Amino acid sequence: MAMSFQKPWFLARARRRFAMTRECALLLPRVCAALADPRQPGSDDTCLEKLLDWFQELTLFDSTVQLVQDNPCLTEFITSVLALPEPSPSILSFTLRLAGILAASENRFQHLQQEKLLARLFGRDGPPNSAVWEDASVRSGWVQGVHNMMHHQPALHLLCSGGGIDVIFTLQGDPSLFVASAASQLLVHMLTLSVESETTKPLSTKDCDWPACAQMIIKRIEDSLQSSSASHIEQSLKLLTSLFGSCRATWTEVLWLGVAKQIESFLTEETVQVQHMLANLLLNMAWSPVFRDTEGSFWALVTSALEHLTPVQAGPLAVGILRLYKCPQDVRIQALTVLLQPMDCILRAASQPLEYAGLLDESVSDPVTVESLLSSRSSCANLLCQTLAHLEQLLSLSRLPVDLPYTSLLRSLMTILQFCNGFLSPASPLGSTISRILINCFRVQRSALDVLAALSERKGSDTLIGSLFDLLLAYLESPNTSPTVLKKTFQATSKWLVRLQELSCSNSQGQQTEKILEDVFLVLQKRLCSPCWEVRDSSLEFLTVLIKCLRDQDEFRQSLLSSEVPRLTENLLEDPESYVRASAVTAVGHLAFITYFAPESPVVGNQYNKENTVAKLQEILSTDPEGFPRRAVISIFIKWLRQGCTGQLEDTEQFVSRVIQTVEHDLDWEVRLGGLELIEVFCSQTICQLGLPQCPYAPVSSAVTSSIHWNESLQVFCRAKLFSFLFRSLCDCDKPVGQRACDVLLGLKSNFYPVSTLEGSQGTGDSAVGHGIAWLQRTLRQGSLAQNFPTDGSNGVDFQDPENMMLALGAVELEELHDELNRSSDHVEKSPQSLLQDILATVGTIEENEADCY
Amino acid sequence: LVFLLLGPGAGQDVGRSCILVSIAGKNVMLDCGMHMGYNDDRRFPDFSYITQNGRLTDFLDCVIISHFHLDHCGALPYFSEMVGYDGPIYMTHPTKAICPILLEDYRKITVDKKGETNFFTSQMIKDCMKKVVAVHLHQTVQVDEELEIKAYYAGHVLGAAMFQIKVGCESVVYTGDYNMTPDRHLGAAWIDKCRPDLLISESTYATTIRDSKRCRERDFLKKVHETVERGGKVLIPVFALGRAQELCILLETFWERMNLKAPIYFSTGLTEKANHYYKLFITWTNQKIRKTFVQRNMFEFKHIKAFDRAFADNPGPMVVFATPGMLHAGQSLQIFRKWAGNEKNMVIMPGYCVQGTVGHKILSGQRKLEMEGRQILEVKMQVEYMSFSAHADAKGIMQLIRQAEPRNVLLVHGEAKKMEFLKQKIEQEFHVSCYMPANGETTTIFTNPSIPVDISLGLLKRETAIGLLPDVKKPKLMHGTLIMKDNSFRLVSPEQALKELGLAEHQLRFTCRVHIQDPRKEHETVLRVYNHLKGVLKDYSVQHLPDGSITVESILIQATAHSEDQGTKVLLVSWTYQDEELGSYLTSLLKKGLPQSTS
Repeated sequence: MAMSFQKPWFLARARRRFAMTRECALLLPRVCAALADPRQPGSDDTCLEKLLDWFQELTLFDSTVQLVQDNPCLTEFITSVLALPEPSPSILSFTLRLAGILAASENRFQHLQQEKLLARLFGRDGPPNSAVWEDASVRSGWVQGVHNMMHHQPALHLLCSGGGIDVIFTLQGDPSLFVASAASQLLVHMLTLSVESETTKPLSTKDCDWPACAQMIIKRIEDSLQSSSASHIEQSLKLLTSLFGSCRATWTEVLWLGVAKQIESFLTEETVQVQHMLANLLLNMAWSPVFRDTEGSFWALVTSALEHLTPVQAGPLAVGILRLYKCPQDVRIQALTVLLQPMDCILRAASQPLEYAGLLDESVSDPVTVESLLSSRSSCANLLCQTLAHLEQLLSLSRLPVDLPYTSLLRSLMTILQFCNGFLSPASPLGSTISRILINCFRVQRSALDVLAALSERKGSDTLIGSLFDLLLAYLESPNTSPTVLKKTFQATSKWLVRLQELSCSNSQGQQTEKILEDVFLVLQKRLCSPCWEVRDSSLEFLTVLIKCLRDQDEFRQSLLSSEVPRLTENLLEDPESYVRASAVTAVGHLAFITYFAPESPVVGNQYNKENTVAKLQEILSTDPEGFPRRAVISIFIKWLRQGCTGQLEDTEQFVSRVIQTVEHDLDWEVRLGGLELIEVFCSQTICQLGLPQCPYAPVSSAVTSSIHWNESLQVFCRAKLFSFLFRSLCDCDKPVGQRACDVLLGLKSNFYPVSTLEGSQGTGDSAVGHGIAWLQRTLRQGSLAQNFPTDGSNGVDFQDPENMMLALGAVELEELHDELNRSSDHVEKSPQSLLQDILATVGTIEENEADCY
Repeated sequence: LVFLLLGPGAGQDVGRSCILVSIAGKNVMLDCGMHMGYNDDRRFPDFSYITQNGRLTDFLDCVIISHFHLDHCGALPYFSEMVGYDGPIYMTHPTKAICPILLEDYRKITVDKKGETNFFTSQMIKDCMKKVVAVHLHQTVQVDEELEIKAYYAGHVLGAAMFQIKVGCESVVYTGDYNMTPDRHLGAAWIDKCRPDLLISESTYATTIRDSKRCRERDFLKKVHETVERGGKVLIPVFALGRAQELCILLETFWERMNLKAPIYFSTGLTEKANHYYKLFITWTNQKIRKTFVQRNMFEFKHIKAFDRAFADNPGPMVVFATPGMLHAGQSLQIFRKWAGNEKNMVIMPGYCVQGTVGHKILSGQRKLEMEGRQILEVKMQVEYMSFSAHADAKGIMQLIRQAEPRNVLLVHGEAKKMEFLKQKIEQEFHVSCYMPANGETTTIFTNPSIPVDISLGLLKRETAIGLLPDVKKPKLMHGTLIMKDNSFRLVSPEQALKELGLAEHQLRFTCRVHIQDPRKEHETVLRVYNHLKGVLKDYSVQHLPDGSITVESILIQATAHSEDQGTKVLLVSWTYQDEELGSYLTSLLKKGLPQSTS
């Protein structure tokens, strides 16, 4: 019996998309001839890149020689470029990469080698020996070409026997970073390929029988590690780092044992400065089970590195270790010491004699180096920013493998922030030096505030909450706080206010909370009037976040409503800056949840008038010259509708209808999209409210009642004038609008036409209505073309008539349209055929100076 | 000074400008552009090359954006909000105002066209702009205690600036895109004679002397006029801001002068905002606009009106500006499809189009375009390309170098072959080194920094006490101890240094052995040496000490017989660093042997 297996659907689709069609096969020879013609001006780089992308995709699922056999122009192209006395660098680079892609399968490799093409491209006497090698794009093309090809043993042998390894090792030190990095990656790939495809028996330390190619590479690594050249050592360390990062096979340990001693010596070596490379190497090893699970020597080396590297070098290693779940306890403590040392020093420098417990046990810490770094102007901010970034990284993990001393950490953070705004000038010499260095240092302020925000989610740092808010309020008030620092302060404050609320719920800290909230709103009032738009905007965003998190808390609502903040926020609806207007819309929209929409609204009197606010937002929606505020309004309306704040069904119907008529002509397609979302929510709510459509499998008797419900909903939708907008949107020149409209209509169709009833309702008859629908159908079919949807009503479709619309829903082939709309709008232009045509069309037409800016 | 180019592709490619400069330990990123030709990772620079270790925020001291074009600022929200750079970003006030409009415009087109989700959002653009510090022209901005930057007028587009970056006495000037000849609404670039260590100049038009812009403008007006006269429609696809305003002024004045009646429309709804900014930043435009502003604001258009989608079907002639500029989505493409079939109509492409767009196809002469749903659109309308971009040509680049007088020049943003010609010209005419690194290449340039040193009063007094008054023309040697502490340098007397640092003094003596053939007794050899030296070194005090040694200033000479060969005497010469010259002179003198006459 013949075996058949199905490839996954996505492979099949990929094959179809990138297949060599007849049209492409006809165009390809002319394209190849044009590219190889030195008289033609160079093709656009992006064209060549995209051409390579296409070949990559063509060959990915096909290892046969069919492609090169059916298209001999490809081999001819390579041959003719090789024959050029002075090929242009970009064409040569393209040829090298193309040849590599084609030679990725062994079959095609052999095919190309029949004419020794690959040997001529990648061998000893190829491009590395010619004048064009000077050009970085040729070197880059050569490395990429080799990498593309390197998937089988013949390719390995071609390189190893042709002197290619030497070239690649040299390229590791290339002046172009792109080439150097690609060369290093290539060596890792070749080493892995060689060991994994050519090893016949398992490798062991005693009997180390590496395959020939691997042997060559390893020998070069060992030699360069023993050389006195720092750059050679660095290259080899980089190579090993990416090898251990990408390959987790056991043979990597055998390789490591051969170089371990040498690398260990670099930790203490003073003549060769490569210590900064070691942290990354060890970190990648620690993540590999090959090394992580070993006892003893590897972890001893990590400990030694944590001791010997400078605090800045050891930082990344320490934080990486602390993220590991599996790691010896003593190494973890050592890493924690490295990480916390600067924070500990800050604490100690601030108070003398120490009033509080430090972060670290004095017996484990050796603060001399860190103290000297912190007291130097050039290194202090750097070390602190790095430490703070690492702490933030750790705190952002949902599960921390290690316990941090949160209270002391918070105290230390507060000390840093106090140093930065000059609130603390300690008596100790170290403290006063640090405070002088840190004053007004925005970088450190930003980093410290980030950690502060992250710390709010950790329990155990609550005793300091009072003084913490003093500090935050001082930052919020100070005119010296820069807009970016202010934004971070707002973020930290909102997080800690949430924490404060949680605490006041469990304790009886109500009074403290009230006082803090009052102070926060006082400051916010001032900030909302700032001349700087960034500050006004961040203040509004802060207010919105607070309302979102705390709107259920009485204390919060009362403090907010008794302040001037709501009035000022409404004023900002008329801000000259559109970003601010948009944020004000969002804030006002959220404020409404505690003023008009809350069932137990504490508002008395006419201070907050719902109609006024809605009218104001409506006005913004119809008249604001910029998209942001209009988009904000439609989002708020959607939010209100979702939360059922727009009143009874009748009110809601009018509201939605009004909004839709405003947005359907909006120039900003995202506003129109918002309108469609509003319709979607409204429809599903209406259908829910008037009764869900019946289950198609329900007994027949219920069909009568359910059809009444459908009619009712349908009438509501027609009255609200939703359908003309929905159908017109199918032809919108901005594709996402069409997609959304189609989704909504499909949703409605499935509601009104359960599967069982669909078949019978398709006929549109010969009536006037029928003609109208046929017209609609035709228009929509051409509609993905950019015809404007005529709306003059002369076509016989009444979009407000339920019967008409019921028929339209049934008859229009929405599913087909849906598929059409879901294809990206540039799928034609993106096709290989279009690319080939474009390359051919540009031949000979490129004029001088077409280079231009956007 | 280290320079790394992460930017544009080679050739005629509108790439991504992104340059990293390390100057005296400070790292500055210049521009953060995107490549419109790709819709994957390749559209943004690969920032992982900037630093392998540590966070970008810690590594970079600041980012500077030269102007609002997307190939110079398009990757900024990605860099600051998605890659996570959190430090300061500098640009001029107009750039800060206009940049988000263009980014937003581009985001909408990208998301609209490809339904992409992995792209920066509106919120990200806003958050990014909040990190921007706006600067004024010629204002020296202190980024930190050591790093300062200063903006100069660059022409090119509204708000475009060249930036001088300075750390201590080392400095770099980055031109961004600039224009040395004034155009219809902008002035010419200008810079101080600031003599930077390095001038990084764009060289888009490295070998061309451009034909006059006036000619191109006349040509443009003629074509529009002819089309409208014969009842045709003109479509001008543009990006929201920049070129569009320039062409609007051009058409407005022409319509006014010729008393034309055909309507001109602008389709995006952005004109108002754009014009608002041109009014707001009137000081950035050229003198003519500023002068006429008093009587009439050039950006308040009489003839140009907002476009409504229904107008496209109106009969009769009209001119429409529509976005986007490459005809790849949205409004402009929609209008193009409607009008393409009529040979009376015309489309004028005033800017570059990337491969794959309809704009690119029609510019390369394709007339049958496959559209969605296998429909073929036959293009019968006329297609014109007109570049109005304002870059400095070879003459302009030379002019700028003459103005700034840099010590080194580095060319970016151009084609290698063309740049080579300019490089030679620059090297010949200005006698400075000129570099043109490839994308991804680092260039290291050595500077000779002069570092200011404070000299202690004590030391100065001592020097003047010796009687030598300071003289500008005669540099003199001064001995002292250099103390480097807290980024400051001080020269003090050795005694003061010892006192300040609490150290004890150690004497270091250099020694050297000289072999002399002399069979006489040791004390006789010493005597001969003494006489010889006395004869030669008349200005020095040469002494013969009772213990048998000789001194000349601090130099000490002792003689012993060779242990194996009594006929050879070994002279041990030692001296301190103060007498190094004399010491080496003496040893070379003795090595020549003793003259016979003194025997």
